[in-house]
Amino acid sequence: MLRHCTISELLEVRDGEGTATARAHVEQCEACGAELDRLHQRVAALRALPRHSPPRDRWPAVREAFVSARRRRRWSYTSWAGLAAAAGLVLFVGVNTPPRPAVAASAPEEIASLVEESQQLERVLHSYNRQGRVVNGVTAAAIAELEDRIAVVDVGIDRAQLQAAPHEAVADLWRRRVTLMDRLVNTHVQPVTYVGY
Amino acid sequence: MAQVTAAALDELAIQRAKGGDLAALERVYRAYEGTVYGVAHRICRTPEEAEEVLQETFLEVCRSIKRFRGSAPGSLTAWIKRVASSKALIRIRREKYRDTEVLEEDSGWAGRRDGDVGLRMDLEAALAQLSETSRAVVWLHDVEGYTHEEIAEQMGKTVSFSKSQLSRAHARLRMMLGEEAGC
Ligand SMILES: [Zn+2]
Repeated sequence: MLRHCTISELLEVRDGEGTATARAHVEQCEACGAELDRLHQRVAALRALPRHSPPRDRWPAVREAFVSARRRRRWSYTSWAGLAAAAGLVLFVGVNTPPRPAVAASAPEEIASLVEESQQLERVLHSYNRQGRVVNGVTAAAIAELEDRIAVVDVGIDRAQLQAAPHEAVADLWRRRVTLMDRLVNTHVQPVTYVGY
Repeated sequence: MAQVTAAALDELAIQRAKGGDLAALERVYRAYEGTVYGVAHRICRTPEEAEEVLQETFLEVCRSIKRFRGSAPGSLTAWIKRVASSKALIRIRREKYRDTEVLEEDSGWAGRRDGDVGLRMDLEAALAQLSETSRAVVWLHDVEGYTHEEIAEQMGKTVSFSKSQLSRAHARLRMMLGEEAGC
């Protein structure tokens, strides 16, 4: 080999996959040998970096999300109205809830509108679930992933409600919920071949 | 760290966790929270995202541990780490990642006096400067011991993509750390 190794070639030599030519070159070339040593040292330094610890204890939130997801699965999707009621949000969801205004909605109105959107999506989802379709592994994984994230948002909504969080924060959580629900419905409707949501 | 704490998880605790026992699930969480957060922190952009990955990972662990069948030593660790890295990688993929690095990383290193660039950083800072994808690949491959095949599968990319991201990561680190070519 008339030139020095590239980094890719050195990585292949390190991982035991290098060509015979590259291996022979590294054995004979002092500079490439030194570069391979530096590679090993860099990796050793990476491995020696301090491990970060979680800044807060997330177990209470995980536990809460798990318990509520378990309950949710038992209740089935149609019982979502009950959960909304538990969160105190049923106040906003009247029979005559106005359609979501396009501009300058006040936060409570926006929340009411988002809750309704969320409920509509739950109903669509329920109709899909009733069909008892078999989904492929990738789709099932995507569904589980979205359900987990919805459960995490639900815990956030419950907490925001308990702590009387500002309307804007609550609206933001509901916006996230609607977005995730929308993806969940789409995932049920269209078979997933690429988990890039 | 995981080895020590995970060892405290006896078979009975794992069986109970599989049955949905919350106290046993908490023991699993305590044994692995550091491992999971460590991986998530290296892949995600912010500590807040890493916390969300921690939460999502254990939510899945709680939900799916009943189907976990591994019995070999370390298989629970491997499974939980895999869930964590996959949750973290999904985040990278979900965002339209701005991989703005333009670098001829594979033109050979010799004769490049990178030390002259004046970019001597510490490793932590250099790692943070990598693109999310490169950082994820170098961390998963060189620190966590994943193969390129495993990384490619989790990222939904090809093996050669994983390999080229690893080369790119090393080229960038080498440059930012100001390592001299020595010839
Ligand atoms: Zn050489």
